[in-house]
Amino acid sequence: MTIEAQTRAAPAKLEQKAGGDNSILLDVRNLKKYFPITQGILVQKKVADVKAVDGVTFHVKQGETLGLVGESGCGKSTTGRTILQLYRPTEGQVLFRGKDLAQLKGEELRQMRSDMQMIFQDPYASLNPRMTVGDIVAEPLEVHNIAKGKERKERVQELLRIVGLNPYFINRYPHEFSGGQRQRIGIARSIAVNPDFIVCDEPISALDVSIQAQIINLLEELQEHLGLTYLFIAHDLSVVRHISDRVAVMYLGKIVELTDSRALYANPLHPYTRALLSAVPIPDPIIEEKRERIILVGDVPSPVNPPKGCRFHTRCPLVIPICKEVAPEWRDVGNGHFVECHVV
Amino acid sequence: MAAQTTTLEQAQTMTLKPRPAWYETWLRFSRNVPALLGLIIIVALIFTALFAPALAPFDYAKTNLDNVEQPPSAAHWLGTDQLGRDMLSRLIYGARSVVFVIAVVSIISLTLGLTLGAVAGYFGGIVDTVISRVIDFLFAFPELLFIFFIAATIKPGIVGNLKSFALANNLPWLTEFVRSGYADYLVVMIALSILGWGGLARLVRGQILALRENDFVLSAECVGVPAHKIIFRYLLPNSLAPILVSISMGLGGIALAEGVLAYLGIGLQPPNPSWGIILSDNVGRYWREWPEMLWLIFIPFVIMAAVVFAFNFVGDGLNEAFNPEL
Repeated sequence: MTIEAQTRAAPAKLEQKAGGDNSILLDVRNLKKYFPITQGILVQKKVADVKAVDGVTFHVKQGETLGLVGESGCGKSTTGRTILQLYRPTEGQVLFRGKDLAQLKGEELRQMRSDMQMIFQDPYASLNPRMTVGDIVAEPLEVHNIAKGKERKERVQELLRIVGLNPYFINRYPHEFSGGQRQRIGIARSIAVNPDFIVCDEPISALDVSIQAQIINLLEELQEHLGLTYLFIAHDLSVVRHISDRVAVMYLGKIVELTDSRALYANPLHPYTRALLSAVPIPDPIIEEKRERIILVGDVPSPVNPPKGCRFHTRCPLVIPICKEVAPEWRDVGNGHFVECHVV
Repeated sequence: MAAQTTTLEQAQTMTLKPRPAWYETWLRFSRNVPALLGLIIIVALIFTALFAPALAPFDYAKTNLDNVEQPPSAAHWLGTDQLGRDMLSRLIYGARSVVFVIAVVSIISLTLGLTLGAVAGYFGGIVDTVISRVIDFLFAFPELLFIFFIAATIKPGIVGNLKSFALANNLPWLTEFVRSGYADYLVVMIALSILGWGGLARLVRGQILALRENDFVLSAECVGVPAHKIIFRYLLPNSLAPILVSISMGLGGIALAEGVLAYLGIGLQPPNPSWGIILSDNVGRYWREWPEMLWLIFIPFVIMAAVVFAFNFVGDGLNEAFNPEL
């Protein structure tokens, strides 16, 4: 593990140079989140770890959107939540404007929360059913002492207007709204405190296709007007392509490829990325006919006991002997295109 | 712009017809006849307790030895007891004792049960372990024995201190409170509540454990809502339904406990009226003379049973109203 930590630390520096220090808003270094599996009735003994996030390193520049894609259970959401310190990291650093969030505690951390927010996947589960829309949106203002009384109410109405909801809805309860409207309420709540950084955790995957585009457009508008920086977690590749400046591909707790979105879609290097992209249907029957599908065999290995060497070697079509023994390095193959593979 | 104006107007007309979330629940509850009956009995009980002096036709303690053991008549609707005291007045004042006990015990055990249960469920870890073990300990403790113990050991001291404190500070209402015997009662009730919060705390803890993994709780943590606000704004309101049912069921048990304690002589003391005291006075004296002295035993018994059942029916009704799929 120490060797791995070292190999992680070096490219982190590299990456920082490449991006230019001033523009980096969030710098994640060798972030790990293990969930312990315990056994025993009286004394809980740790028997194993679920290695949900196992050493990821990336940065997010001010004002950009970093897409994070990967299949279900690969640790995307855990990464987002660990960055926001909703789960405390097992190891690694989360530098937000140079300040390590992993070291912050209690009140200090609570204060920092006004700078970074989250938009949740399921709008039916992420709003407190016992609070009115007005209270839901006003709560961040209240707990961070931003506005009071009449001023607060006006701000809430303004926020509702910004996200495209009618301010008359202020006294309604979440169950009176549709999924898309609820997601707008969630967005109003998360932008209430003027955050700089928002983790969008699959914000549209629970919505109807017709609503998805509206929410995406809203997110883009907000980014433009409020100067937001997004970490956009999704499994829909075409959406990620549309909204992201750069894209990171995650597999089994690690980022396997990271580059700007045009380069990734035009020239995917990692075999997993290629397989993933080959699954995107093309809305043109003639091209679609010729589309080459790379079908991966087998299942994703368990994050409790990930494969030795490269984590993808059990399913990789290009596997060579070294893949089974040595974990590949996270390296820059040019123009900030990072990949973790022996074959490339 | 025109489209937006229409939506505004639509919204305004829609706002005229608000549909509160609890309305459906109330509709289901009101269709349940036993529950509604129970609710009426409970309201009547509280009303009687509050306005006992106005409702009672006689002084509950006034004896009339020329007029003892009378059957129900126009003057004494429920007859008189062995000292010639009016049964109706005694029963009406007896409601005060029940309501007093229910109020004290539920306030204390609700506060302890909700807070400690919520804290155990939300924070987990060592806090949870300690609170859960204390609850286990309380469950293992024989309730009546503990109350006898309190009544025999520390109660006289506390009441004595309270009395001298009242005299020293010239507080007539406190002197009256001690003299009426309610001070003794309060000590016993506090003992009862200290034992009684465990069940509720366990229920609350379980509810909160289930709720705290919810996205909306995570969203509150993400916004930076402090822990106490998460508990009181997010977790408790969302576990209200089972908590209300449990409380309502529990109140029946408390009403019964009041009767049992008074019956056994560690509750309110004679001549103060409590249904338990009336029963114990009369059962010992008249049970052989059944059925001639029926009203002296039967009526307090029926009233006590009705109150206990009322709370249980309301609890059942709430349960069904909150969970229509049952």
